[in-house]
Amino acid sequence: MQWLKRIRVILAIVSLTSISLLYFDFGNNIPFYLSSFILSTQVFPTIIDCLITGGTISVVLILILLSTILFGRIYCSTLCPLGILQDIIIRAKKLKNRRNRYRFKKPFYLFHYSLFGISLLLLFFGSTVLINIFEPFSTYGRILSNLANPIVVLVNNIFGNLIALIGFINLIHIPLLHVSISSIIGSFSIFALVGYLAFSQGRMFCNLLCPVGAFLGILSRYSIFKIVIDEKNCKDCGLCERVCKAACIKSKERSIDFAACIGCFNCLDVCPTVGMSYKRVSKRSTEIPVLIDEKRRQILKNSVLSILTYVIPDTLNIRSEANKTTYDESRKLPIAPPGAVDLKRFSNYCTACHLCVNSCPTQVLFPSLMDYGFSGIFQPKMNYNASYCNYDCVICGNICPTGAILPLDAQSKKEIQIGKVVFAKDDCIVITKKKDFGACAEHCPTKAVRMVPFEKLMLPEVRDNICVGCGACEHACPVIPRKAIFVVSNQVHQKAQKPEIKKIEQSFDSTQEFPF
Amino acid sequence: MNRRSFFKSGVGASLFFSSTIITKYDNLFSEPWKSEDLPFDLVAVKGGEPEIMFRKGIEAFGGIKTFIKNGQKVIIKPNIGWDVSPERASNTNPKLVAEIVRACLEVGASEVYVFDHTCDNWQRCYKNSGIEAAVKNAGGKMAPAHAEGYYHEVEIPRGKSLTKVKEHELILNADVFINVPVLKNHEGSRLTIAMKNLMGIVWDRGIWHRDDLHQCIADYATYRKPTLNIVDAYAVLKQNGPRGVSIEDVVSMKSLLISPDLVTIDSAAAKLYGMIPNDVRYIQLASDQKVGRMDLENLRIKRLTI
Repeated sequence: MQWLKRIRVILAIVSLTSISLLYFDFGNNIPFYLSSFILSTQVFPTIIDCLITGGTISVVLILILLSTILFGRIYCSTLCPLGILQDIIIRAKKLKNRRNRYRFKKPFYLFHYSLFGISLLLLFFGSTVLINIFEPFSTYGRILSNLANPIVVLVNNIFGNLIALIGFINLIHIPLLHVSISSIIGSFSIFALVGYLAFSQGRMFCNLLCPVGAFLGILSRYSIFKIVIDEKNCKDCGLCERVCKAACIKSKERSIDFAACIGCFNCLDVCPTVGMSYKRVSKRSTEIPVLIDEKRRQILKNSVLSILTYVIPDTLNIRSEANKTTYDESRKLPIAPPGAVDLKRFSNYCTACHLCVNSCPTQVLFPSLMDYGFSGIFQPKMNYNASYCNYDCVICGNICPTGAILPLDAQSKKEIQIGKVVFAKDDCIVITKKKDFGACAEHCPTKAVRMVPFEKLMLPEVRDNICVGCGACEHACPVIPRKAIFVVSNQVHQKAQKPEIKKIEQSFDSTQEFPF
Repeated sequence: MNRRSFFKSGVGASLFFSSTIITKYDNLFSEPWKSEDLPFDLVAVKGGEPEIMFRKGIEAFGGIKTFIKNGQKVIIKPNIGWDVSPERASNTNPKLVAEIVRACLEVGASEVYVFDHTCDNWQRCYKNSGIEAAVKNAGGKMAPAHAEGYYHEVEIPRGKSLTKVKEHELILNADVFINVPVLKNHEGSRLTIAMKNLMGIVWDRGIWHRDDLHQCIADYATYRKPTLNIVDAYAVLKQNGPRGVSIEDVVSMKSLLISPDLVTIDSAAAKLYGMIPNDVRYIQLASDQKVGRMDLENLRIKRLTI
């Protein structure tokens, strides 16, 4: 049965590489159909996409669920990027001549499943907070986006500068505008936790914190084929228990807790006889611990309620802040990218994987900290200090794996107003310095900002009905720190009127002589 | 060679090369010709496709070889400021740019680089303007200009408002610099033509806007004189400039101007557009600062109709 492990390793390398490439696609060269196929292998984002935000039912998701029902959690060792990352860490430990020896550990089912239950409840009550933190794809995404990507970019830029001195222009300088310190710290902490658990405990993360692990674990209890120890052939050598990263083999009792098995097949690989194999199991061969009795149920209920009372008002806060008018207060609401539909909906379904942050060609998307409330930690917002939203670009929606940002075509994107332009005339340079200035109107793609005559000068004038809220004017405005022209978030995205198209009369007569 | 010695030699080499580059910055363009020797001060062409108008126009000067010697490094600076399609005329016509690249290579230019410090995202601008594909097809190279590291500070000795800017290193190293603006409406500065197009080779242009845009444009023109200016007026954006909102903003003029003099070409282009050159303040200021001549009636002009 050794070929099983080989297949697992090859699949793991392929899937980890392709997911990682999405985070290093600096020129946006990967076509949408390919990226969405790669992303459809990720269980949780795809479930949100299929069941909640109205994406098409994914064949890949059905295959993954089927494979779990058939063979257990092989997903965890072949397609899950965070799982594979842990395997790499475990492997690296081995390279440093440190043996990995595991012993059976009683799984923490109560804790794990409670956490999963609470995550789900919170999701339906409108908060992705627990899923944001522990969902393996998003966690892996944040590690790449906030830790790996900036390092690669910095190395590229420093090295690029060196060879540019010699006279080549080969490595192109990549700006780094989407770096948020809080997001880096957050990603690093979870990376440290995952790394520590992997280094010392094997795949503990997957059986303690991971929501996908819990979900597939429940399914794999009812798997048709399970790994079992053959009573006749087993020589009681205990090798399988020692190599089990999930610590789910009790070799003395010749039993395997299949719900915790992550399908790495190391045990099959190491077994010197044919003592282990995949077998069709007619009835449950492993004892499944009683999960929840009455008392525990009560505790669970209380803890859920207490968390909900904390989180729900917090997410609702967004609503009450809508109608404030002063500069600072109106600027408190984050601006969500086109396709988010409304802030609350967006915050409900975004798992903060930061793929959009990484893919945005102008890098206007930026990881927020608490802008969407505590429950929306690390979710992206528009940052017009760094950049502005390109009028014709639709990448973020087309790459979003959960559908939190809906996929749009270029035309329908242009009709979405994510915020409204506000002009603070008294702060404008034309007024304060009495000098012509019009970078805001220059950059505006719809002429929602245009220049009108004003005391021998030209002064910006805004028409917010045709504004799309792209932030080009705000980005171009030189007044700091309080911009004289800025975008105020639309809590619910609205329809932008089409820019008025006035045909210029063809005044040019080509038969005439030159006017000079 | 171990890693340490590799890095040591690398740092040494880069220091050596950087010093040579810095000394090279002192030379401005060598002019193989004097403007008095040229047969005309301005060539105006109309009625043809961009490639044909350029070929006919440059012939009047004795061909592009008048301006480029064998083995020289040529920089072409079109307007690629906006992420819009070619027919919207916010950027220079890609066919014209490609034809100039071809002409330069035909007379033996060693390298032809094309770049612009864009307003919208540079990769999208290069791609969607059609210029990247056209230039590569013609054998030229697109160079990046989106990061401060590519720019180096220079002094503007005759500047009134503008005394120093950060200028792109390719310009500092070039033998020949061909400025290829598109003629279009501009809400901030009225018109954008050749002098305004030079804002795309500097990094810190935000200051220009803040200080006095017209004066800064004129100041910079006192310092940076392109070898040749070619104004694309094939399709002209007449309203909602500089970006434009739709194809309805564009008028077909099928014209092209060529001149080594920034003020001359801007004055002629302003007239072609339908404005009085004196109404565009930076043209007047540049003329006052003796950048070039705007008295078109006294100049030698070749007019061609195809």
